[in-house]
Amino acid sequence: MARKSASIALNERLSPYQKLYLLLIAGFILGPFIPLIIQSFAFRWAWPDLLPGTWWLEQRERAVLPLAWDYVISPYSQVWEATLNTVFIGCVVTVICLFICLPAARVLARESFKGKPAFEFFLSMPLIVPEAAIGIALLMIFINIGLAGTYTGIIIVHLIPTIPYMIRMLTAVYQGLGRDFEEQAMILGASRWQILRMVTMPMLLPGIVAGALFTFLVSTNIFLLTFFMGQGKIVTLPTLLFSKISGGTLDASAAGITLVVTVPGIILLLITERFIKEEAFGKGFGN
Amino acid sequence: MTAVQLKGVRKDFGGFTAISNIDLDIRSGELVALLGPSGCGKTTTLRMIAGLEVPSDGQILFDGKDVSEVAVQKRNVGMVFQRYALFPHMTVEKNVAFGLKVRGTDKAEIEQRLEDILDVVQLQQFRHRFPAQLSGGQMQRVAIARTLITNPSVLMMDEPLANLDTKLRGEMRRFIRDLQQRLGITTIFVTHDQIEAMELADRVAVIFDGKLAQYDAPDALYKRPGSIDIADFMGATNVFEAMIRGKTATAPFGSLAFATDATDGPAHVMLRGEAIDLHLAEPPETQNQIRGRVSAREFFGANITYTVACGDAQIQVIEQSRRMVDLDQEVWLTIPPDRIWIIQN
Ligand SMILES: Nc1ncnc2c1ncn2[C@@H]1O[C@H](COP(=O)(O)OP(=O)(O)O)[C@@H](O)[C@H]1O
Ligand SMILES: [Mg+2]
Repeated sequence: MARKSASIALNERLSPYQKLYLLLIAGFILGPFIPLIIQSFAFRWAWPDLLPGTWWLEQRERAVLPLAWDYVISPYSQVWEATLNTVFIGCVVTVICLFICLPAARVLARESFKGKPAFEFFLSMPLIVPEAAIGIALLMIFINIGLAGTYTGIIIVHLIPTIPYMIRMLTAVYQGLGRDFEEQAMILGASRWQILRMVTMPMLLPGIVAGALFTFLVSTNIFLLTFFMGQGKIVTLPTLLFSKISGGTLDASAAGITLVVTVPGIILLLITERFIKEEAFGKGFGN
Repeated sequence: MTAVQLKGVRKDFGGFTAISNIDLDIRSGELVALLGPSGCGKTTTLRMIAGLEVPSDGQILFDGKDVSEVAVQKRNVGMVFQRYALFPHMTVEKNVAFGLKVRGTDKAEIEQRLEDILDVVQLQQFRHRFPAQLSGGQMQRVAIARTLITNPSVLMMDEPLANLDTKLRGEMRRFIRDLQQRLGITTIFVTHDQIEAMELADRVAVIFDGKLAQYDAPDALYKRPGSIDIADFMGATNVFEAMIRGKTATAPFGSLAFATDATDGPAHVMLRGEAIDLHLAEPPETQNQIRGRVSAREFFGANITYTVACGDAQIQVIEQSRRMVDLDQEVWLTIPPDRIWIIQN
């Protein structure tokens, strides 16, 4: 209900130009997916036809499912395995990242100490240094200590680019949360753990959800570091996709996989949408 | 109940000294006001008693026992924060019951005490609301209820009335005093308003610049301030330089006989405006008689303040509005010797 009335209100407020502008942006974001969707339902789509020459529907007796989807679902494609890996790694990385970043953000938001600006600068280093440099450096170390090609290795490298984002977002949220609430809880007799569970966490929830969602999405999209550390033993959706298209062919199955790759993010977004208040995101990115 | 004692307490923040040295003795069941201008260290003092700050030096004693090693959670104090700090994600009920819930009190008892305390603060019909849906006065009552439900042995309130409008302030003042008298709980409250401090407190501790300037009952503080700054802060207007010899003070407008003890030498003489009588004809008594002319008049409804020019000095006289004296009228002022206070050094 609320959403409907909001969209009506939006419609009434927008001028035709603004609507056109929105439409263009939507087209720009969604446009690239259209050939993918068409491709995934094609039987044969040869250059320079604008649309596939043969659609899957016309070849029903030869293929029960669209070719692309048939392949994607089959175990040969490793899509299912890659999806599980991606989601598993994403979840573990998010949880570990939260545990590391919550206390760190709290200190950064509330205390001032010697060398704080330098520390903050170091925090953004992983965002500045090229991924390949970090990846190769770490790979050499990880091969030596036997972490290459293991889940642990991949999870550790995923923490490197996600921690800076998470700390930044949580610091901003903590800055908005005064000490008063926690001190009041303490005076009322609450233990540290009770304060965290009953006061701090619920009050930080919008920010935590936003940060967790963001971390998960970043983790599920990391290609290069995963590729280096996975050593081909552990496939995730991005590495699978890359190996699929690195041959240079953009066939129907590649299109199918590409579509699958976008699914976790979209599902997650839908699930968490109700948690995310604009302010949480706004604060997170504004700082 | 609990007696609270501060012994030589100091608090430094880095290189900055917020409290330089405070000795304070609060009797069990007493209502004490910490009074002072903003930034003088009132909140810091409360926070040290609560255990939120650790004194840099000195001791804090509850019933004679040093509590410096006792954790905040175990001190069993209550504190109402200046901005209430109600948990925004909890209803009134949940906010109030918080202290019992974290102590693991059983459900039935929580329910019982919640009902009782909601009756006391008259919040029954708001119990399911969230803090954002309450007015300032209601939020404050929630904050007080949330603190009282845990039966604290010391109740502290940081500027409890500062965020309320004038009418509500009077109401809350009466509410707090009644509650305190009924429960007999040792209470320390912070204010920067001397009227509020005098109306509510059994004793007032005046703090200037992180030092205890004076600690006295309200009427003593009002009539016998220990320094010009305190007199000024307590709203005294007639403070004049004077020379003391025996029981006579020689001020610019003449000599005054006084009753209190003082040593000879330069000092200040303080005349409370409401203790001065204003006569339209020369009065028969000649002691402490000052002659002057009305130079200004301020009407406050029940009271009038006249400014009387006596030579170079301006003396303010406060009178009930039973009559109106004309401007420029020649008048005679008299003041009984026992209503004159001498401030030395
Ligand atoms: N955590 C702190 N760090 C540094 N200075 C502080 C801190 N808390 C208070 N102060 C300083 O101590 C002085 C007293 O503060 P406060 O007790 O809050 O005053 P009041 O409550 O009387 O207005 C102020 O000058 C304030 O700036
Ligand atoms: Mg204060």
